[in-house]
Amino acid sequence: MHSLSRRLLVSVSVPLALFFGVMMWVLDTGFRALSERSLQELLDSQMVSLIASAEPQPDGSYAPTPQTLDPRLATPRSGFYAEVRSQQHLWRSPSTAGLAADFGALLTHGERNLVYASFGHEGVAIESRAIQFDEDPSGANALTFSVAVNLSPYEEQLWDFRQQLLGWFAGLMVLLLLTLAALLRWVLAPLRRMEREIRAVEEGRNDTLGRGYPRELSGVAVNLNALLVGERKRVARYRDTLGNLAHSLKTPLAVMRSSLPGAGSDAVLGAEIDRMRDIIEHQLKRAAASGGALLGQAPVEVAQVATDLRGALLRVYADKDLAIELAVAPTAQFVGDRGDLMELLGNLLDNACKWCRSRVRLSAGADVTAGPRERLSLVIEDDGPGISAEDRARVLQRGERADESVPGHGLGLAMVHDTVDLYGGRLAIDTSAMGGARFSLRLPGL
Amino acid sequence: MRVLVVEDEATLRDTLQARLAEAGFTVDVARDGNEGLFAGQEYPLDVAIIDLGLPGLPGLEVIRRLRVAHKTYPILILTSRDNWQDKVEGLQAGADDYVAKPFHFEEVLARLQALLRRAGGWATPQLKCGPVVLDTRAQTIQVQGVPVELTTFEYRILEHLMLRAGDVISKTELTERLYDQDFERDSNVIEVLVGRLRRKLDPQEQLHPIETLRGRGYRFALPRDASS
Repeated sequence: MHSLSRRLLVSVSVPLALFFGVMMWVLDTGFRALSERSLQELLDSQMVSLIASAEPQPDGSYAPTPQTLDPRLATPRSGFYAEVRSQQHLWRSPSTAGLAADFGALLTHGERNLVYASFGHEGVAIESRAIQFDEDPSGANALTFSVAVNLSPYEEQLWDFRQQLLGWFAGLMVLLLLTLAALLRWVLAPLRRMEREIRAVEEGRNDTLGRGYPRELSGVAVNLNALLVGERKRVARYRDTLGNLAHSLKTPLAVMRSSLPGAGSDAVLGAEIDRMRDIIEHQLKRAAASGGALLGQAPVEVAQVATDLRGALLRVYADKDLAIELAVAPTAQFVGDRGDLMELLGNLLDNACKWCRSRVRLSAGADVTAGPRERLSLVIEDDGPGISAEDRARVLQRGERADESVPGHGLGLAMVHDTVDLYGGRLAIDTSAMGGARFSLRLPGL
Repeated sequence: MRVLVVEDEATLRDTLQARLAEAGFTVDVARDGNEGLFAGQEYPLDVAIIDLGLPGLPGLEVIRRLRVAHKTYPILILTSRDNWQDKVEGLQAGADDYVAKPFHFEEVLARLQALLRRAGGWATPQLKCGPVVLDTRAQTIQVQGVPVELTTFEYRILEHLMLRAGDVISKTELTERLYDQDFERDSNVIEVLVGRLRRKLDPQEQLHPIETLRGRGYRFALPRDASS
């Protein structure tokens, strides 16, 4: 039951079906009582006319004269049947011809009954009445008058009625449910719109929810927008503060550093200044790395970031005969902060440029079969000396430098490691087919 | 070599100025973006160091405007926000390299020298023209494998000429790049220095490393080694 409209439809259709069922039962019972009464009346009138038309016959039996006989009783298989019976005599209406008619047992004086039976395949209602005429006080000549009526027209009528009832009720119910569904659609449309807009915000196609929600939802939409904007502002302010903190700490450090007379006497001081710089660098960057996409933040095109970095690095390494190959699929998109991706790729590409002989390659693509946190695949490789197995783990440690002669090497990679962790991604180092180190990253993608 | 330092932090600016001068540069300084832009446009510079976080005109804008004004000398940026976004923006604006604060002065110096070398079309710190080898890092000269002692000014002139070996460099340019604005501009001094340089490099007068082009200036005439 995860859908409001399904809940509502089910909770409405069950009582509705119950109501219609009871209605059908009540109507059906009423209709049956009505038709039984009319049957009774028909049988009664037939009985009266049969008794009235019965005349004593020369042979001592009683029978209606053919002239006064109801024409329906004269026609074979008409559906109307009659019998006059005594212990000695039996008269049956011509309509019973060829029919295995059985009107039941003889009755004693004053008795009357109504039974349902069948003449062959024909269902009938039989009314019988025992009458003793005054001329025969012995009672031996008691007559049993019976009239029978074929029930099939009544049954057909009843079935017709039931069918119609069922048809109408079912139709009505379907109509009601459809109306309800349409109504729900209309009523819930703003909710669906909100769902759509939230998804757009999540995927970064929009930055806030739109306007024009009904009163009941507009509060939710407004608050959600406020939350989105507030969160974005908060993160921006947080980063700005961290950036300013780093800036204001590093400038005095730069002053101290540059005031030291060359190498030698103040080597300890210099080393401590470097350590402070590294700590500031590492901790502040770590704190500023968001580790997730903010709602309403568009996914980052890897190609754009890679192209920018490539241009920058080619400038920096202009005196190295360097080729940076980019094999970035247009589907390669990073769900996260642009700055974080820039740091990751910047550090890894810079590192590769430092170490390579002449070639650096970045491959990026989307792997839709992977989990959402590992959908973006980034591979950075070079043709340099590579990283030995024991250095690989060490290289990822904070501030550890695999080669002290290349400044900033360790810090950058530790930063990469931390950021990948924050995003719940994966980082692996091995050897590239090009000969040097290969860094394989998995990060949240589309 | 004449360098412009645009840095708002006074202590840092002063130390940079002092240590660059010590390393043989002629140093101009500017305290903010507007001053920096003016100096960058007006002075005959070889290279500039520009802090990105400047009051007045931001560093990025200074770089952009210098490039728009067709100033082609290399620019090194100083950044305290050590993130790639800033570096990329700086490099896209027209800078050539960056150094993150706080830096070792030696690193700034190495980057400056590399930029100057690169601007002159050299790939390595050793400038080799036939038998004459100048090491920009150690600031030493060897001719046919024998070290030659030069004074600071002699070295500066030779470095300037060799970095742009093959190009004609006027006396005015040499004077401007080697001395501060207020230094008395007497082209005779350059002539004297070049003369002494010739005698030190080529005592036997066989190599003729420095040509004089009358009315135009000087040219380092020995061909660059193909390997460098």
